[in-house]
Amino acid sequence: MSGFLKLLLRNRLAALGGVVITGIVALALVTPLLPLQPPDVTNTAERFARPFSPGHLLGTDNLGRDLLSRLLLGTRLSLAVGTVAALGAAVTGSAIGIVAGYFGGRTDNVIMRLIDMLMAFPYILLALAIVAALGPGLVNALIAVAAVNVPFFARNIRGLTVGLAGREFIDAARLSGLGHTRIILSELLPNVLPVIVIGISTTVGWMILETAGLSFLGLGSQPPQADLGSMLGEARAALITAPHSSVVPGIMIFLIVMSINLLGDGVRDALDPRLKSGALSRPRAATRVAREHVPEVPQQGVLDLQNLETQFHVGRRVYRAVNDVSLHVKPGECLGIIGESGSGKSVTALSVMGLVASPPGVITGGAVRHDGTDLLSLRPGDLRARRGAKVAYIFQDPLATLHPLFTIGDQLIEAIRSHRALPKAQARARALEMLEAVRIPNPESRLENYPHEMSGGMRQRVGIAMAMINEPEVIIADEPTTALDVTVQAQILSLLDELRRERGLAILFITHDFGVVAQLCDRVAVMYAGRIVEEGPTMQILDAPAHPYTKRLIACVPELGGGRRTLAAIPGLPPVVDKLPEGCAFAPRCAKAQEACRRGEIALEGAAPRAVRCLFPEEAPT
Amino acid sequence: MTGYILRRLVSAIPVLLGITVIVFLIMAMIPGDPATAILGSYATPENVARINASLGLDKPLVQRYFIWLGHMLTGDFGRSYALNRPVLDEILDRFSATMVLAGTSFVLCAILGVLAGVVSAARQYGWADRAITFVVLIGISVPSFFLGMMMILIFAVRLKWLPVSGMYAIYGGGDLADLARHLAMPALALAAVATGVIARMARSAMLEVLRQDYIRTARAKGVSETRVVLRHALKAAMVSILPVLGLQAGFVLSGAVYIEMVFQWPGVGRMLVDAILKRDILLVQGGVVFVAACYVVFNIAVDVVQGLLDPRIKA
Amino acid sequence: MAVSALALCAASPALAQTPAGVLIVGQIAEPKSLDPAADTAVNDFRILVNLYDGLVRYKSGTLEVEPALAEGWEISEGGTVYTFTLKEGVQFHDGTPVDAEAVKFNFDRMLVEDHPYHDTGPFPLAFFFSAITQTEAVDARTVKFTLNEPYAPFLSNLAYPTGLIVSPAGVKAGGKDFGRSPVGTGPFKFKEWRSNEAVVLEKNPDYWDGAPELEALVFRPITDANTRVAEMLSGGIDMMVEVPPTALAQFRTQDFKLAEQAGPHVWFLILNMKDGPFADKLLRQAANYAINKKALCGDVLEGTAAVSNGPVAPAFSWAYDDSLEPYPYDPEKAKALIAQSGATDLSVTFYVTEGGSGMLDPIPMGTAIQADLKAVGFDVKIETFEWNTFLGKVNPGLEGQADMAEMAWMTNDPDTLPFLTLRTAAFPDQGGFNSGYYSNPEVDSLLEEARKETDQDKRGALYRKMAGIVHDDAPWVFVANWKQNAVTSAAVSHFTLQPSFLLELGKVTKA
Repeated sequence: MSGFLKLLLRNRLAALGGVVITGIVALALVTPLLPLQPPDVTNTAERFARPFSPGHLLGTDNLGRDLLSRLLLGTRLSLAVGTVAALGAAVTGSAIGIVAGYFGGRTDNVIMRLIDMLMAFPYILLALAIVAALGPGLVNALIAVAAVNVPFFARNIRGLTVGLAGREFIDAARLSGLGHTRIILSELLPNVLPVIVIGISTTVGWMILETAGLSFLGLGSQPPQADLGSMLGEARAALITAPHSSVVPGIMIFLIVMSINLLGDGVRDALDPRLKSGALSRPRAATRVAREHVPEVPQQGVLDLQNLETQFHVGRRVYRAVNDVSLHVKPGECLGIIGESGSGKSVTALSVMGLVASPPGVITGGAVRHDGTDLLSLRPGDLRARRGAKVAYIFQDPLATLHPLFTIGDQLIEAIRSHRALPKAQARARALEMLEAVRIPNPESRLENYPHEMSGGMRQRVGIAMAMINEPEVIIADEPTTALDVTVQAQILSLLDELRRERGLAILFITHDFGVVAQLCDRVAVMYAGRIVEEGPTMQILDAPAHPYTKRLIACVPELGGGRRTLAAIPGLPPVVDKLPEGCAFAPRCAKAQEACRRGEIALEGAAPRAVRCLFPEEAPT
Repeated sequence: MTGYILRRLVSAIPVLLGITVIVFLIMAMIPGDPATAILGSYATPENVARINASLGLDKPLVQRYFIWLGHMLTGDFGRSYALNRPVLDEILDRFSATMVLAGTSFVLCAILGVLAGVVSAARQYGWADRAITFVVLIGISVPSFFLGMMMILIFAVRLKWLPVSGMYAIYGGGDLADLARHLAMPALALAAVATGVIARMARSAMLEVLRQDYIRTARAKGVSETRVVLRHALKAAMVSILPVLGLQAGFVLSGAVYIEMVFQWPGVGRMLVDAILKRDILLVQGGVVFVAACYVVFNIAVDVVQGLLDPRIKA
Repeated sequence: MAVSALALCAASPALAQTPAGVLIVGQIAEPKSLDPAADTAVNDFRILVNLYDGLVRYKSGTLEVEPALAEGWEISEGGTVYTFTLKEGVQFHDGTPVDAEAVKFNFDRMLVEDHPYHDTGPFPLAFFFSAITQTEAVDARTVKFTLNEPYAPFLSNLAYPTGLIVSPAGVKAGGKDFGRSPVGTGPFKFKEWRSNEAVVLEKNPDYWDGAPELEALVFRPITDANTRVAEMLSGGIDMMVEVPPTALAQFRTQDFKLAEQAGPHVWFLILNMKDGPFADKLLRQAANYAINKKALCGDVLEGTAAVSNGPVAPAFSWAYDDSLEPYPYDPEKAKALIAQSGATDLSVTFYVTEGGSGMLDPIPMGTAIQADLKAVGFDVKIETFEWNTFLGKVNPGLEGQADMAEMAWMTNDPDTLPFLTLRTAAFPDQGGFNSGYYSNPEVDSLLEEARKETDQDKRGALYRKMAGIVHDDAPWVFVANWKQNAVTSAAVSHFTLQPSFLLELGKVTKA
């Protein structure tokens, strides 16, 4: 809930900007209707009248003209100029960028070189030179300001277009015989438009500032016309004597630019889908824990998950990713957690050491016990001390999970030195030892490698070495072999198996593949829609799955040498966990589902060591 | 790496040549000529012709361009008529002043901007984040010359803490403390906008990076949060912040024009504005080419640092 | 970090104190050169007159010529030969004597194309002396100039900074860079020029006209008027010239002294007499009546200018007609004249500059003028240009482009302005500056006559007559004569501004 509030607060800033700028624009629009003093009538005897003088609410300027009416008219003009300049720069720049990006090759090269030239040319001097060549005047200043901002749009849009131009739908459009203009207008433009809009919304303010700058240099509107920049420029001579005449337009510029910027940020965020999903908020060091009570159940095994509940709070929605999950693993044991993607198995694994990204993740119930303490109630420092030292993780896709900018050696050494004050040389020796232990050839030279310089299998060995380096009691392996090809996968699995047996490790092994479970795990828990639907010893479950879902999962595994069996994918999709159906979550996809399945809570029960959450379990083959 | 730098330098040559053409044409197009600027009210056609001839401006345009280019390639930038001294001497004098100002500003805005962005991201939606967001917005919403003028009014005229203008005290100055006193206001005023832009960029880059899987890995290893933010996240974020720094260097250099005028800083920006107004053709041309070359070199340097920072980029 | 930097700076005391005996002058721009033959700007002249002397100079407080390096002179009967006798024993700062050869060197350098040092130019104002056909060193102390025809302004031109005498040895040593290492005879010697920071001159203890009180002079270029005011207020400089009118109020306290001096300056509007409304004399006069010059001078310029009555500045007291009344501000009369003319198209294009030598506050002035003209029915459209572009637009003539343009001149002789801008022979296509195409044969002949008349009283009468005719013809709107101003700190005394607009600091003291 509070995460949602925070997001709203952020939007409130944008809303504030929106309100201010709407107010200013509205004021500018109704200006001609207001009973204002004539803006151009001079009365030099009354020059520099202070604000709140009779007849002049904001005072008068250097020629005794009414500041209020000049301010409003100036605002009108400046807003128009800023908007038109931003639009002009956006249209020209985007057109150039699209053409360069779409046609590529020599066209691109020549255009981009020209853009480079413009960028290297100091922009104020370019504007100055343009105005000097065209003569002064607001329109020419506008042209100059727009012109110097063309490269900004051209470069951004070109980059985007180059990415798009290579995509299939453009090729398809080309093959279907559409002309270049049609492709650009109907295929490319809609795709780059959001970026152009973001660009415009963030540059309007900048344009107003720059036009003001040109007016400061005396190259703006022609007297007696007022724009904010020229008002500032004219008042500048009296900055010390009559500061109000510069402060008034100065504050207006500030208000406009600030509110446009706030609104621009809002627009950018609104158009950026990642922010809505919370992907642009920063995950905390540990998942937020908001439990009403902590279960007081004695610990089983070396790691014990007790009635764990983890949810994602996104906006007003609550996704119940992990729902009342209880699991434990003993030393030397390997427990598999299996399920389709979205079943909550990874979130379960990450909840253990508080690694679920938060926001939006929140642990709302249950406990994780290790060494007799509840890991979820630990202070951040204590939790950190156990991460990697007692409970270590191996992740899927080590290209993304190893830091791309540090060498393997650095990352391994860091893992050690985060827990032990070991001299660097010793830490290095230890890292070397671990690389040997996971059978990486030439470990010495590998230490200096970056992740992208290694193959997938080698990287995963590094991941394992890193997890093992502090000799933890528990390893949580989150789909460690998913990204690897079958032979490498087998090697990694046997390596893990060996390490477990040698060192008495407890392994929590997350996977979606029963084939992998069969090779490594002693016991297995099957998850569906955030709940455990079946658990028991691997062999028993493989032989006689009790839950229809388990049966379907097992059916997905091709049997080596056995050709294709009933490799039927499970029809339908797992339910979205913010709208769980009542009763059995699998019922909608289950061929055997009956009325009773769709009603009431179904318990996980059965004779130990097996349990199943099903009203009509599969018959054990006899 | 050396080969890469050389290749980049070579590919910059056509850009610089293009700039020589643009600046030459612009100066040829601008109405008014040096003779009018020299003679002012006394610019009779006869006097103008005499002066133009003595400056070599009576030759055809194309010929003048190649004479200028040829001389410049031999290191002879010509003589500024308005300052009556070799263009290169003036540029070097002025450029060192601009480097002090723009360099300080740039370092200031890079450090402050990145720092603000990091703090802001690390304390997202906390009070520090809001305070920084607000200050940064002020920075990018006020024209820098206005900020400069207000600073002079407050800190120099009213409080008399700092000198109004110039680079060194006329007497008894010249040391580093003196320079710092003169530098404080212009450097801050100049850094304001760029700091804002960089801080915003750094904030979103940090937020983006903090979401990455390798940050989770670092946390799973038990790396302390400070280290996660300052080492793992910042280094990765720098990859996307650096190009913005490169771009901002250009803006700082351009923004220096206003600041140098307000604070009477003897830099190259003011020199170029004066030179354009006085139609000091050779000085404008030489100055622009020089500034552009610096910009190009600086951006190559940014790319090189980028290459050093990110081993995935093939240098 | 920024805060600590500020704190550090604040901690250091004695800021903004200028050393005793050193006068720091806030200039409006970096000088171009310190070679008098190469300079054209008043800004540069302000330094030059402290470094150099001419053969003659303006008597303090006037625009009349008195001896300087020459102790006397003779003009031949026909007015074409001028013979000067030099003072004895005067030396340049480099120790070389100021003799006739040195003077000859100076003028030959500017005027003789094959002079070995002619290439140290260009010398843009050499045409001030274009009447000279020959310069002879008769003996060590006697120089003789031969002119091609009688030319009354010659002496006055010699007193102008272009006529200041430089050291031949200095030119030979400095070559093209002489302007950066100047050697003269003046009360101060060149010490250093820190580019864009300061030009420093130090006392010449052996000055022939009495050594100065000050130890040194520092000229700081501060182009931005606001910054210059701020420097003055904060004590960073001891003296500033060309105080912006709006800032004057700040200096009316006991910490500062304000100096004012009317000078040979005329600010006017050129009216296009060839096409457009102002071809009609009635409308030209209407414009003169419509514009509130008192408000311009008193309010917009805060009293830094006086209302002008014609093409001769009051500073030329011997040529000025003080009985000639300026056109009064009378919008009703203006409307009546417009009605009388029967003109229907009253649209006017008005060229305004953003600033320039002697232009005062051209944009506010132009804007106020626009408003005044609008009040009587003229529809005025302003086009502003930066100074050099402006000159490029105005000097070739207004025909077909504009109806009205701002202009101002500062001259050293009453001849210069009307001669260059009001004669038929000075139309733009003939190389003059008569951009509004005023042509009156009587004015033409009066000016020719005055130029050849070496008797000052007779010349003065001719100019007064000319001014009366021009006033009535109204080829211009006569607006203002500038009173130049300068501010010094209270510690500075014995400072007077000269009508010549030159800044002579030889007698100034600073407590």
